[in-house]
Amino acid sequence: MSLLVIGLNHKTASVEVREKLAFNSKEALREALKKLTQEKGIDEAVIISTCNRVEIYVKSIVPSDSEGNVQDHIEDTIKQFLSKFHGVDRHLFENYLYVYKDREAVEHLFKVTSSLDSMIIGEPQITGQVKESYEIALSERTTSLILNHLMKRALFTAKRVRNETRIGENPVSVSYAAVGLIKKVFDELPRKSVLLIGAGEMAELALRNLIGSGIKNVFITNRTYERAEELAKEFNGTAVPMEKLKEQLIKTDIVLCSTGAPNYVITEKMLKEIMPLRKYKPIFFIDISVPRNIDPSCNNLDNVYLYNIDDLQDVVDSNLLERKKEAQKALAIVQEETEKFFLWLNSLESVPVIVSIRNKAEQLRLEELEKFRAKFKDLPPELLNSIEHLTQSIINKIMHNPTVALKNNCENKEILIYSARRLFGLDNEEE
Amino acid sequence: MGTIFFELALTFYFAASILSIAGIIRKKDDLERTVFSLSLLGFALHTFYLFIRYIKSGQAPVFSMHEANSYFAWSILLISLIIRTCYNARILSFGVILSFIFMFVGAFFPRNIPSLKPELKSLWIDIHALMAVFGIALLSLAFVFSILYLIQEKAIKTKKFIGVGSIIPSLEILDKINYRLIFWGFPIYTIGLIVGFIKYLNLLGFNFDPKEIWSFLTWTVYLSIFYLRVKQDWRKKKAAYLTIFAFLLVIFGFFGINLLTESFHKPL
Repeated sequence: MSLLVIGLNHKTASVEVREKLAFNSKEALREALKKLTQEKGIDEAVIISTCNRVEIYVKSIVPSDSEGNVQDHIEDTIKQFLSKFHGVDRHLFENYLYVYKDREAVEHLFKVTSSLDSMIIGEPQITGQVKESYEIALSERTTSLILNHLMKRALFTAKRVRNETRIGENPVSVSYAAVGLIKKVFDELPRKSVLLIGAGEMAELALRNLIGSGIKNVFITNRTYERAEELAKEFNGTAVPMEKLKEQLIKTDIVLCSTGAPNYVITEKMLKEIMPLRKYKPIFFIDISVPRNIDPSCNNLDNVYLYNIDDLQDVVDSNLLERKKEAQKALAIVQEETEKFFLWLNSLESVPVIVSIRNKAEQLRLEELEKFRAKFKDLPPELLNSIEHLTQSIINKIMHNPTVALKNNCENKEILIYSARRLFGLDNEEE
Repeated sequence: MGTIFFELALTFYFAASILSIAGIIRKKDDLERTVFSLSLLGFALHTFYLFIRYIKSGQAPVFSMHEANSYFAWSILLISLIIRTCYNARILSFGVILSFIFMFVGAFFPRNIPSLKPELKSLWIDIHALMAVFGIALLSLAFVFSILYLIQEKAIKTKKFIGVGSIIPSLEILDKINYRLIFWGFPIYTIGLIVGFIKYLNLLGFNFDPKEIWSFLTWTVYLSIFYLRVKQDWRKKKAAYLTIFAFLLVIFGFFGINLLTESFHKPL
């Protein structure tokens, strides 16, 4: 038996190549899984296809050779399959593919699922995508004992990584970082109001994220009032004429500023007038404009918080750095889980199972014999001897067929061994 | 005398504190639920301990150094548990650590039931002591949250996040909790003081005790914080600094006065 993954991702291939090999719909994925598992030598398969990666995981009955290499033709079969299924010439994508076998394949899957292999480390979507891919394979019945266990362990590993490290905790995009900072100041976002000054792309994105976090009171102002009205319609907000900026600032909690103005739209002097009118209620400014539109010295005022584009970028950078540090911890978890998976896999080798079953039977035999002896102390020793022989021969007779069956090489041998372990109760703790 | 319940509660608080510190260092709050369960168990045992003491002695379990510390720790934890439930804020870690510290200090003092002078054996004296200490507990937590507020505020202002930021709640919620703590703490403390003062006048006439003068001084500082709060001035940093200052006065009143002077209030 061997495990194998063939695939490409954002690191090895450009989007032109990735899109050629992507399985764009669930139907395509289902069909591919069906066709793939009909190929000779492939008896379990899962396909993960996202915008950043296409990976095919297979379990093959062809065993790895002494160096752990799957016989080349499985690899070849999959490449051939990809080429045929997508109608793309092999040489167009062959060079971008990576192939991992056995332990490396398992570790790779665990890394992918835990979002350690993602473009943005720690982004949460990939775990869901892996889960979905597995569910499709499950419904197409293209997985069985080994890949089922592997996929479950992968999802479990991802959960552990998420719970035990801080890998997904701090935002790593500028607009999310802005929302994160705002949440450090304000608690109940639905009760807060936001004012958008100008209409930069980044400011709009931040506004969208804020609305996504529950903010409902949206005000928009612009140099040209018509544009403000347009945007107000789009964001379900209220347009405010630029002349009323001061009045609006008195009742606003969050200000997103992104205009093309060459000078400061909001000055320290202005805020010094406004803050007492607000009873010094906190106000959060995000200035995404270049050149800056809010006088940096505003940040010196009490209860005024001002972040410009560089400040936000700094936050993002330090968060990214922290994620990288956390990724090291996550890697340790991945390795631990890989180890566990192989312990489980090794338990599906026939010899140790036969030994365990025999040991268990022998132990039971001796225990029962002991009980019997204690009960009937007066029996003559010859009779006791015969009884002992009798028990032994019963055990041998019973064990004969299972032993032969387990020793025989057959297809899906792991399932047989797995069943034997369960039938004879070898694993007390079922996971 | 049921001190086993004290030891048990102390043990649970210890465990909860260790996990809390681990959470703070790791900047993860995945242990929060465990901390909550441990604290709750410890709290139940502690309550039982105080109750037994009260039944046995017929006086509030707050008059000896051991009792005062233990009751104070109990109050702190009760309030922290309430805040956690009402605001769903991840603040229990800080409360339980504080609670453990006082509990630990209390463990070093003799645990016999203090014998009060007969004239002090009165329900009013009990109420005075219980309310005053409970009020102080509320105000102490206001102190802790003021510090957290200042840490968080500074991090946001200077744009340097030294890490703890992520497990400290938002400024708004810290401030809300602070407001509530002062809102309840100040009147409870005041009533406690007034009850004590009236009883005291009855017993001894005008003859001021250093602890009373100190308490009055502390009270005036809290009065100003209370005023600032009610006036709805949102310059929270000022209130936070004042709360910290007031708490230092309280701590001195709690320990310093007792140790330095021959006060009528000296714990037994």
